[in-house]
Parts: sequence; structure tokens; C-alpha cells
Amino acid sequence: MLMLAKTSYAALRDTTVTRSANTADWITGTVVNQDNRTLKDVKVYVNDSTTFVKTDEYGHFGVKAPAGTVLFFKAKDYNSTQVTVKDTAAITVRLLDTYLKSPHMIDVLYGSQSAESEVGAVSTIYTNQLTTTPASLYVYALPGQLPGLYTEQKSGFTSFSTTALFTNGFGQNFINASSQNNRSSDNSEFNITLRGQVPITIIDGVQREISSIDPESIESITVLKDALSTMLLGINSSRGVLLVTTKKAEEGKPRISFTAETGIQQSLSLPTPLSAYQYSYLYNEALNNDGQPPFYTAADFDAYKNHTDPIGHPDVNWFNTILRKNAPETAYKLNVDGGSRIAKYTVGLSYYDQSGIFNTAPGAAYNTNNDLNRYIINSDVSVQVNKNLSVDLQLFGRVEQTREPGGGEANILNLLYNTPNNAYPVYNPNGSFGGSNLGSAYNNNLLAMTEFSGYIQNNTNDILANLDLNYNLNSVTKGLTLKLKGNLSYQSENSLDRSLQNSSYLFNKDSTYTAIGKTISESNLFTTLYTARQSFGQASLNYNRQFGKSNFSGLLLYDTKSLVSNYDLSAVTTDRALKGAYNYDGKYFVEAVVNSSGYNRYTPGKQYGLFYAGGLGWQMGKESFIKDNFDWITSWKWRGTYGTTGNNNVDTYSYYGYVQTYSGSNVNYSYYTGTGRNEQFTVYDNSLANPYLSWEKAHKLDFGTDISLFKDHLQITADYYHDKYYDLLQQRGATIALLGTAYPYENIGVDLYKGFEFSATYNNNIDKLNYFITGNFSTQASKVIYSDEETPLYPWNAHTGLPVNAMFGYEAEGFYGPNATNTPTFSGYTPKAGDVKLKDLNGDGVINQFDEAPIGNLKPLMFYGASLGINYQGFSISVILQGVLNRTVSVDNSEYQPFAGLGFLGSAPQGQAYQDATARWTPETASTAQLPELSFLNEKFGSGYNTAFSSFWLRNGDYIRLKNAEIGYTLPYSIARKLKFSNIRVFVNGENLYTIAGFKGQDPEVNLSDGDPYPIQRVFNAGISVKL
Amino acid sequence: MKNYKNKILIGIGLITLVAAAACRKSEKFPVDKVSGIYIFDPRDSAGTQALKYLLNVYSVVEIGHNRVGGDYLDAASDDAVSSSPGGQVTILATAGYTAIDLPANENVWSSTNSTNTANYWNGIRSATEFMAGIDVVPVKDFVAPNGKINGIGVSTRYIWRNEARLLRAYFYFELVKRFGGVPLLGDKVYNVNDNIALPRSSFADCISYIVSECDKAKDSLITAPLINPAQDNYRVTQGAAMALKAKVLLYAASPAFNNPSGGNSNPLTGYPSYSASRWQLAATAASQLMAIGNYSLDPNFKNIFLTQNDPEVIMVRTANGTNPSNNVESNNGPVGFGSAVAQGRTSPTQELVDSYPMSNGLPITDPNSGYDPNNPYNNRDGRFYATILYNGAPWLGTTLQTYEGGISKPNNGQTETLTSYYMCKFMGPQTTSNFQGHDEDWVIFRYAEIKLDFAEARNETDGPVDSVYQQLKDLRLRAGIAPGADNMYGLTVGMTKDQMRAVIQNERRIEMAFEEQRYFDIRRWGIASTVMNQPLMGMSITNSNGNLTYNLIQVLQPKFVAPKMNVYPIPYDEVLKNPAIGQAHQNPGWSF
Repeated sequence: MLMLAKTSYAALRDTTVTRSANTADWITGTVVNQDNRTLKDVKVYVNDSTTFVKTDEYGHFGVKAPAGTVLFFKAKDYNSTQVTVKDTAAITVRLLDTYLKSPHMIDVLYGSQSAESEVGAVSTIYTNQLTTTPASLYVYALPGQLPGLYTEQKSGFTSFSTTALFTNGFGQNFINASSQNNRSSDNSEFNITLRGQVPITIIDGVQREISSIDPESIESITVLKDALSTMLLGINSSRGVLLVTTKKAEEGKPRISFTAETGIQQSLSLPTPLSAYQYSYLYNEALNNDGQPPFYTAADFDAYKNHTDPIGHPDVNWFNTILRKNAPETAYKLNVDGGSRIAKYTVGLSYYDQSGIFNTAPGAAYNTNNDLNRYIINSDVSVQVNKNLSVDLQLFGRVEQTREPGGGEANILNLLYNTPNNAYPVYNPNGSFGGSNLGSAYNNNLLAMTEFSGYIQNNTNDILANLDLNYNLNSVTKGLTLKLKGNLSYQSENSLDRSLQNSSYLFNKDSTYTAIGKTISESNLFTTLYTARQSFGQASLNYNRQFGKSNFSGLLLYDTKSLVSNYDLSAVTTDRALKGAYNYDGKYFVEAVVNSSGYNRYTPGKQYGLFYAGGLGWQMGKESFIKDNFDWITSWKWRGTYGTTGNNNVDTYSYYGYVQTYSGSNVNYSYYTGTGRNEQFTVYDNSLANPYLSWEKAHKLDFGTDISLFKDHLQITADYYHDKYYDLLQQRGATIALLGTAYPYENIGVDLYKGFEFSATYNNNIDKLNYFITGNFSTQASKVIYSDEETPLYPWNAHTGLPVNAMFGYEAEGFYGPNATNTPTFSGYTPKAGDVKLKDLNGDGVINQFDEAPIGNLKPLMFYGASLGINYQGFSISVILQGVLNRTVSVDNSEYQPFAGLGFLGSAPQGQAYQDATARWTPETASTAQLPELSFLNEKFGSGYNTAFSSFWLRNGDYIRLKNAEIGYTLPYSIARKLKFSNIRVFVNGENLYTIAGFKGQDPEVNLSDGDPYPIQRVFNAGISVKL
Repeated sequence: MKNYKNKILIGIGLITLVAAAACRKSEKFPVDKVSGIYIFDPRDSAGTQALKYLLNVYSVVEIGHNRVGGDYLDAASDDAVSSSPGGQVTILATAGYTAIDLPANENVWSSTNSTNTANYWNGIRSATEFMAGIDVVPVKDFVAPNGKINGIGVSTRYIWRNEARLLRAYFYFELVKRFGGVPLLGDKVYNVNDNIALPRSSFADCISYIVSECDKAKDSLITAPLINPAQDNYRVTQGAAMALKAKVLLYAASPAFNNPSGGNSNPLTGYPSYSASRWQLAATAASQLMAIGNYSLDPNFKNIFLTQNDPEVIMVRTANGTNPSNNVESNNGPVGFGSAVAQGRTSPTQELVDSYPMSNGLPITDPNSGYDPNNPYNNRDGRFYATILYNGAPWLGTTLQTYEGGISKPNNGQTETLTSYYMCKFMGPQTTSNFQGHDEDWVIFRYAEIKLDFAEARNETDGPVDSVYQQLKDLRLRAGIAPGADNMYGLTVGMTKDQMRAVIQNERRIEMAFEEQRYFDIRRWGIASTVMNQPLMGMSITNSNGNLTYNLIQVLQPKFVAPKMNVYPIPYDEVLKNPAIGQAHQNPGWSF
């Protein structure tokens, strides 16, 4: 059959589109993909025979198939399809990509390698798993899809800044904070950890913290989880890597694809504020509890209840007033690629626009709403200069503008959460903005802040140029190549503040107006927030050669990266690495890397460390005892890696901290001399120098297996990891005051992270119905092994031995009843009926630091995800589910505590209260109460007893989300061709569609105490994608 | 093949060339970071940066005004109570503290506060670091107009070094008087890997060390009167070194640390054996300072605290702020004045008021004193009027009303005096309706204290000899007490040593009220267990159509546990963190 296909090729070549004259039941055809490019090696079955022909390198096939026979087309990573032969006309069959892929070659750090030779723990998702998620960042598509990767969405919009990230000054430190080595990350919406550590993002071989690349131009996202896979990063190898590989040009005629999509966003889990009537009622109740006279009269109650006096007794739901229900987002993406064997090119352009949740004034001359507006251009040209040298030039640019209302998004949200419905009316009778003199928080009208206060704009610009040279040194020895990489990038962030402020007015009882707050005319302030230049150079010598059954590969690598941000001295990281791998017959694998890696901000002479890792693999599936006995086992590989890694986070704690430094010119540090009382600025020690400062280290072990069964239909991967992080930078416990100065960070702590990751995928087809289901499950346990803590007086005070980040606080057990006796005191306050009952663990009659114990869930964190979907004749459905177990959240925040937020004056409306406040403790509702007795006393709320961090405020944080779903339809090939397109697809998808959570008071992922974050959004999106 | 090799060679050559060109000299350490070489700079002939560092050492010295949680430390003694009870001084007065929660402003061992980086250990480190670093700074000698180099013929660098030494000794004393023996760190600047878990030195060793440091420093310091007060009035002088020595020796000789009955057996909190000669050392130290003749009593008692470079002042901590201010008034002045708003934080007790004699020098309990309980504030010691505001006292151009319901005791729920008295020491005369600003430097040593130190020590060694009487007469003369016909200023002739001791203790109380003396004096004299275990009283004055009735009322029940509370506990954390101290070397009676 195969022979036949080959022999017939010459004859077919000129006659592909015409009826074959000589054989009536001979059918020929072409198989193409959705880009209308031919596919080779597609298996073509006739009816349900077990034999097949494969398409040739032009995608052609020819089989003997009389009319009425059914041809089955199957190829790896493509949905199977079938065609009934009608006549002998040549046919063109299009195969659509599968949602999941498992290609032969996988991306690893600085290259790619065959999946079967991989011995580390890596997981990958591909384009189709990313493009169903309509969002500003590709990070939105990650939850639930990669085992070991834990995500928490903390906000629904990017953050803003108006002040320079670092201010220069005499002796001031600039500290690289959260994102090591690359300060300016554009991801302010997700917390991501990989096996408990924040991963480093590497895009096309260069570390860049950019999360806003168009998912359609991303080929794959891989997480590298073990020591061996990340070892080429040397001093930065501890934390795991999020490896993003963008699509490269493919040879062929130009293919152009264009996608347009638009969606609406809806805020999730906004709280329900109390009506003014309920608010005033509970307000008086709280005053009454405190023994204070009521603030609101019966007439006030009537006015609030019946809304008879909207100016004097307003009842404004500010959420409905300044927020809109739906906000649009739009994206356009254009990708072009093509080229010849000599030169290939790809150009990607994308535009993304996300609107915010704020209302805008109809007549406004400019947009005041939150807005994210972004253009990205990415181009890549690769030229095969001669048979040995190829050059690849990539240029990437990002131009982004984000805008917030002049009142400041964070500021507005904070006031929105904390302003009661009856604080002030929106407008006064004369049309001026309402305001209140009862507190400074109410002197700037929320509506005015949102819609009439100008705007603040952040501009972020990135450019990046990447040059790769590949030189084939086969002439020196076979299998040797030289790669040179040079990369320059520049980033700048600035802020344009064109905000203003309006006066608001209090409408007095005698119908006069009192101006509240002041008018500030529009400013025009330009601030440079951040600039960074990064250069990266890498040279590597690669060797890969097969000798009989033995395969050797080796790598000699040198790279250096220099980052200059703002006025810092350049931060230079250097790696000098050697890698060797050997495998025998694809059965036995061994691989090792050593890396001498260093950073220039350590004590001279102590800047370099040696990092190393090794791995072993065994393809058990190829052994005869498997192969010969279990034909349903396609492959079964065991693998393990171990290594010593580094985490270069010294800049988080100090800047050149190895030399003692001094500071001055601080107001608290002046002295007045002479009879003239001259102010003299003094100079004082910064924290003590630590010349022994070093990077954090880890011993990381990973052991895993990959099993493939039933002709690759079922694939199972399981991993166990045991990562011991040591030399963690911490302050010593024995900070003895005799030293007389602040202790520096030292390499002290030891933390253990261990866990288990499991994923299974099944995909198959029933005739034209292709389906898949994949799921992954991860556990993550952590333990503080050593933290040099003070010897605890009581065993429950100890942190050592507990999970890292275990919550510590008081243990609560309900409320005190009316007849409580011998109640332990708290900072001199004796709790009363209706107060939270905190346990006095040491029984000394006082609630203090000795009664703090671990609270919340101490069991290992578990998280999971599942995707499933079908594809039937171009019609596709996919869904992603994501969930977390053993998670605890705290609601100890001013949105959950009634009347909290703005202060506790007790004599004026202060703070907002929400529906949950109705479940407060009263003598009648003592058994069902959810909150303590209402009070304005500082010793009870505020910084006081009831709001002290205790298990009372902890809630179950488990949840499961329908994170993403998509329904798509790809028009039949014939129709698309008639319309002169190679592919047309329409789709609707959505994000954060449905959530089941253990606690319903607020969104399970969003921490409201974290600065009143922008609510996360549910998105419904629809679009069309066409390919020419 | 060969062709390629050449190309490769050329390529490598080019890369090397570019790399070499790129290898320009770069900054290895950020010059914007101020490292030690910048502070102690061998090229800084003016010592500008080094002086800034020395001023940092100076700034560790605390200002006593409303220092402890907004109150004077004396409000934790029997002299006053806080008008806003519940704060740190109330905790101190009622023995409400433990090793865990020593009130922050008195935890000079380990707490950090808002105005300084930390505590006296910080000061000790900074002083030592200064002493270790200053030698490389080529500070030129300052030649005074009279040709003397800073008055005493040594270089500025050397003077600075000894200023740091004296300040360090002062910081040690502030620790020792509160905690007993502390670890002595010497001249070593401890770094991150040095073992700082050092044991406590004995009380005796600490006293010897502080005294020897004072001796080392004293002859290398500038002397009073200052040649250039406009520049130097903040600096510690020879007199300060001698005053500190006198005070340290006086404390060391006192009963709490030097119990004649031999009851103090713990070497960390006192001398294991009694020696009467310690009084002699104290008396000699005080007399040496008196002998140099550089200081004199300011005839105007009030001016000591209001003017700079006063002849009586020996050591001063300059106030913060460039302009004259009235923080003392606004914190402690009587309430009820709209034009001069004040908090009235400090309520002097009836006990303090009653300890002031009459203007004839006789105590109010003396039948001949002329004291009228119905007109109790008439004809009292001048220091009474300079220290206490009472009902009817002139204030802000009017007379003060502290009777119940009066302007300055309105009983409206706001902070106000609890005793009908307000403190007015350190305040200006305030004769107009608005506060007038003045200097508010905190006086640490003044000549009157030296005279009292001498009198106390000399009385213990030799009994009430003439020179003891003379000190009291000098102070009483300055206080405006009439010499009387016998020229004894109300003092009884021929007192016994014990009688004289009681008189000196009372004299010290009224002379030095609110100067952070009484709180420690009652401890070292061993009388705290008496005076701090009985109710503290105030006056409740009722005004019935101008007829005033005076009723004693209790304002606070203080508490003191002797001898445990003669010293503070070492903060619990520090005991725990430092195995060389450990619970075994905690002060007696304290667990946590």
C-alpha cells in the first residue's frame, strides 16, 4: 500500500485536481491544516482496515477507494476526521489542531529536546489552551492547567502608579523588591507560585517579566520544576521557570491570520451595602451598646426608610452610582508569516483594550474610566546565510497606556468600600456635588472623583532586540554547533497626571451651602517612574551525535546579563555552565549540568558559586519484559533528578549590604547645637553590614514517571518532589540588643517544600467525534525546618515545624454569653457578652503573645484542574475547571467588620457596613450570630479585642471554579474556500464563569484587606478568526 | 574548509576586540552609598562628616520632658500622677510591669522609639564606633581668640573622642541605675559574626568602669565657662565628666546598692559587702567639681531651665527644633484657656506640695512656720511657686481656678488635673494671655545637684558638719528663703545625721522635682516601699461663693515591691536570646 502510494506519486503530481483517467476506484487527495498548509505523515485508513497510507511531504495521498468507502484521517495532535468517497474527484481534507498536544520535541531552557529524553519535571501547554481565555495577560490562562503551578487572582485590572518607584537621595537604598532582577513586572493581577516559589519568566531564552504577550503568538508555555531543568540559570536556578516560547516562522507561502474578538466584563462578588435605614438603625444599636446616646432620631429613621428627604437623608448605593454593570474589552490580532528555505519571517501585531468598571459622564470630553490600551508588535526574521550560518533577528515592541480616574482607582475603591449610603447625597438641589463635614473622607464626592476629576495615565514602553547566530561546525566535528545570542531591551514607565479636584457642598438645614473640601485645578504632572536597560549575551557550543545506539550531547555555555534600572549600578549575573547527556538506545538516560554562576553585588571574592544537578532516566517500556508482555503499554519511563540550586534574591534585603553604610538627613535624626539652635543633620548607621551575605540555596529532588498506554490514548505523569531550601535570608532570632544596631539579613532559614503532582490525559475519537479529558492534581506541603526563632515559652508558640506562612493568632470559640466569669483580659480590656471568646491558652488570665497559636488549616495545600472537550466536524467545546483545597482565608478586614474602615469616632457616621452586619450578636440572636456585638469602642474594634487576629475571622477558602469555557465552530473547508479563506472560525468563550466556594461572603481568591483590590471580572467574549 | 577557519578566526578576533572595548572601568561600589570611609575621611580636615556622626551619638541622650508615654518620669514617683491615668507612668507607679512588658520608654535596654534608632546600646555602639574611627580624620585644632586650643591645649579630634567616651559612660550609667550590672562591651565594635552574647558584669565592675571612663575623659574635654557658647553650648565638658562621676559614686554608695545590713548579696544588683568609704568617694568627687569653681548657682531659679549657657548648668540635652517653643506649656499647662490650649498632663501630688517649707524655711508641720491650712499656698518656699501651679496662682495674666468646676478643672470628661495642681517647672512666666516661647533644653546636670550630692555624701561620712549645712543654706538663699535671725534659713541647729539625712532628702526632692531624680532617689534610698505603698493624695477645692474648702482626696494607690523593684527586670526577650545572661542572671525576684 505504501509502495503504491509512492509509485503513484509521479503520476499524480500533475493530475491532482482532475479525475484520474485510468483507475476508476483510485482516489487521490491532499491533507492540509487550518492554515491551508499541507500535512505530511497523516495516516489514511480505508474503512476500518488496519492498514493505512501516509501522506507524502506535499500532503498528497492516493488510495484505492471506490465510491461509498469511508476514508479515515489520523495524525498526532490533529483531530481525526473521516470522508466518504463520493466519486473519484481529488479531495482536500483539512485536519484541525487538537486542543491538547504532545509533540515529539519539547521546549527546554535555551533549546528544545525530544520528549522521550527528558528526565526532569516539565509540563507544557500549547496555543489552543491559551487562546480560549479572553484576558489582558496570558497568565489568566494558566490556572488549573499546569500541575505544580498555583495561582491566586488578586485583582481584575492592572495596577497604577504615580510616584517614581524609587527616590534618589543621600544614602537611600534602592531595593529590588518582589520580582527579582526585573523589577517591573506587568503582572499585578496574579500571584503565581511553582512548587511554592515565585517562578522566573523566560521568554525565548531571555529573562523578561512580561505577561502581556498575545496568546496567539505563543507556541507553548512550559514550567520547569526540577533542579536539572533550571540549572543553566545557576545562581537563579532555585525558583523554577515559566518558559514562554513564541511562534517561529514556518516556510511556505504567506499565511495571514486575523482575529477579532470582543467581550463584556462583570465584577464578581461586590458586597451588598446596608440601606441607609438599616445602617442608621445598627449605628444607634452600636452606640447604645457603648452606653452612648443615639445619633439618629426616629424622624431620621422615617426619612431613611421612606426616602422622603433625599438631600438631608440620602440613601445612595455608591456601588450602583459610580460602577457600571458591564465593561467591554476588545482584542484584534494579526499574524503573518511565511518565507522560503533561505529567509523566513513572522510579524505579529496585536491590540488589546480593556475598559474599567467606572461610569463616565455622558458629556465628558475625554475618557475618565479605567482603561488598558496596548499595542504589541513582534517580528522575527531568520535567514539561512549559507549552509552553515543562520541568523535570526527578533524585534519586539510594546506600547501600553493605562488610565485611571483622576480621583485614583485605588483611592476611589477604598472610599467606595467605606462610605455609607447616608454619608452625603450625590448632588445637591442646585446641582453641586454633595459632601459632608462629618469626616475628611466625605469631603470629596465619590461621583466627582470618578467622573469629573480628570485622569491619570501610565505609559509603558518596551523595546527589545534579539539577535541569534547559529553556526554549524560540522566541518570541525560532526554534530557541533555554535550559538551566539545578543539581546538588548529597554523599558520605561512614566506617569501623566492630569487630575483635578472639585469642591463639594453641604446643604444646610437653612438652605445655605457650606463648601466642603477644596477645588484643585487640573494638574499636568509628568513623572518618570521606571527605566531599565537590560543586555544579555550568550555563547554556547552544542554537540549532539549518535554513535550506534549511543547518543551523546554536550553544551558549553557562557552568558552574562546586565540590568540597569533607574540610578542603580548595573546588576550583572554571569553563568559558565557545562552540560552533558548520554543515552543508550533510548532506554537509559543520564544527564548532568554544572554551573559556576555569580552576581556582582556580593562581597568581592564571594560572588561566584558552584551549582550542579544530575538526572537519570529509564525507559522501562522499551524493555522486553514490558514490550513483549504488555502490548497496551506504549511507554513507561522512570526519571529522577537531584541538584543544588541558588536563589539570588539579595537585592530584596539590601543593596551592596556587605559594606557598612550610613544615612542622614532624616528629620528624626537632627540635633540642635549652639545658642543659635542650629539644626545639624546627623549621620547614623544603617543596619549592620554582612560581608558573609550569600544567595539562598536549595537541594531539590524530583522523582517521576511518565506512562503512556493504549497507543498513547492515555497518558499519565506523576512526580514527587522534595525541595529543601536553605541559607534563606532571614534576621536571626537572637537579635541581642547589646549589638546596638539593626541586625542584617543572614543566610539562616531552612524550609522544606514537598509534594506530589499527578496528571492524566485521555483522548480518543469515536468516528468524527474527538474528545479529550485531562486532569491534574497537586499537593504542596511546606515546613519550617529551621528559622532561628527564640525558644518559645509554650509549645504552641513555636513556628518551627509548621508550614511556611502558617497563620498565627488567637483561638476563638464563639461569643461570650451574659454570665461569663473569670474572663481573661486583653490589653487591659475585659471582654463582655457579645465579644469574641478568645482562648487563654496558658491560663494566666491575660490574652497576649503567649496565647498565639497556629490557626487556620495546616494541612498541605491541594489544587487541581481539569479540562475536557470535544470536537465534532469543526464544532468544538472546551472547558477548564480549577479548584483548591485546604485553603484558609481571613475576613479580618474593614469590609467585613461593620463600621470599620474610616475610623471610630462614634459621634459621626464612620465607615460602611454590609449585609453581613445584620448577623451581629445581640442577646436575642446570640445563638446564630456571625459577628460580635456592634461597638465603636477602640478597645473592642479598631485595634482592639474583637478584631485581633483570631480564628474567628478565618474562613474556609476552598473553591472550585469553572474558569474558562469555549464553544467554537470552524466553517467547513469548502465554504471557507469559496469565501477565499483557508479557515474561518467563530467562537464564544468566557472566564470566571461559575464558582462554588466554601465561604460565600467575598470572592475566594481576592483578599479584601490587601488594599481594596479591583474586583475580579467575569468575562463573556465572542470573536471570529480568519486565515487567508 | 580553510576558508571557514579563517572566517571563524576573524570572527573570534572581532568579538574579543569588541568585548575588550566594552570592558571599560565601571563603578564597583555605588558612590551614593555612604560608607565608613566617607564618615571618617582622612581628607576631611574640617571633620564635617565625623562631627555629624558625633552629633548622632549626642542625639541618643534623651529629653526628659514628657518622655515616658507623654508624662514626666516623676509622675511615676510620689511627686505627681499622670492626669491621664493608664499610661506608662501609671504602670510604673502601680508596679504593673513585668519583664515582658516593661513600659517602652523606660525599656532603655531593648525598645526602639520614634526619635532615636534604638536605645542606649545603640548609643554605646555609636560612641565606640566613633572612637574607633575618628583617629584617621585630620581635624585641625581650633585656636581660640585667647591663643588656647579649645581652652585646654589638645586637638579637637582628641576632644571629640573623649566626648564620645563620656557620652558612652553616661549611657552605661543610665542602664546601670535601672538594671544593675550590665555587660561591658569595652572598645570593641561588634560585627555580625562576633559573639555578642556577653554576660552581665557585676554592679561593682560597672561602677568602676564608668568612673574610670569619666576620669579618662575629664581632662580632655572643653571647660566651662565656654569660650564660644554660640557654637559649643551643647557639648559635654570637663564639668559633665566630674558631675557624672559624682552621681555614679553617690548612687553606688546608696543603701539600695550598698546595704549596711549586708542584705544585698547579688553582685549584679549591688555590692555584696558594705563599705562606708563609698560615701567618702562620692563626697570627694562632688567636692572636686565644686573646687574647680567653674559653676555657680543662678540667682534666678526659673532661668536655669529657660536660658542657654546658664552658669549653673553642667550638662544639657538640647531641645529639638530651631525655634523657641512652648511644648512644656502645651503638654502640661492648665486646661481651659482657649488662647493657650494645654493638656494638663501632670498633676503634682499633695505630698510634693506639703514638702515645700514656708518662706521662713520651716516645714509646714512646724507650729512656728505660720502655715495656714485655709490659705495653704501663702508664704511658701520660692521653689514652690516656680514648680507648682495652684488654685489662685497667677497664670496667663489671670489667676488660676482649679477648684471643682473652675476654668482649669471643669470636670467635663477631658483630661485635667486630678489634684488641683499643675506643674509649672520648666515653663516660662507666661504673664500674657498667649504662651510665650522659650528654650526648652533638658538639664541633665546642674550645680545645685552637685551641692546636694556633696551634702548627702558628706553627711553620711562625717555627719552634719558645717559644709553640709552650707550647701543647704546656699540653695535656700537662692530659693528666696529668709536667712532668719540665726542665719540658718529655717534649718535646725545641731541636727543628728539621721535628721540631717531627712532634711537633705527633702531638699533634693523640692529642688530637683520633675528632673528625673525622685523616681530613682526613692529607690536608692530604700524608701520607695514606704512612700509608694500608700495612697497618693490630691486636693479637692470647693468654692462656695468665694469661700474655698480644701479636702484631701486619694488620686492613686501606687504599689512597690521591695527590694525586687529597686531595679527593672532585664527584658524577657533579651534574657532568652542571650544565653550568657539567661534566667540565672535575671535580676532577683523577676521571672518574666
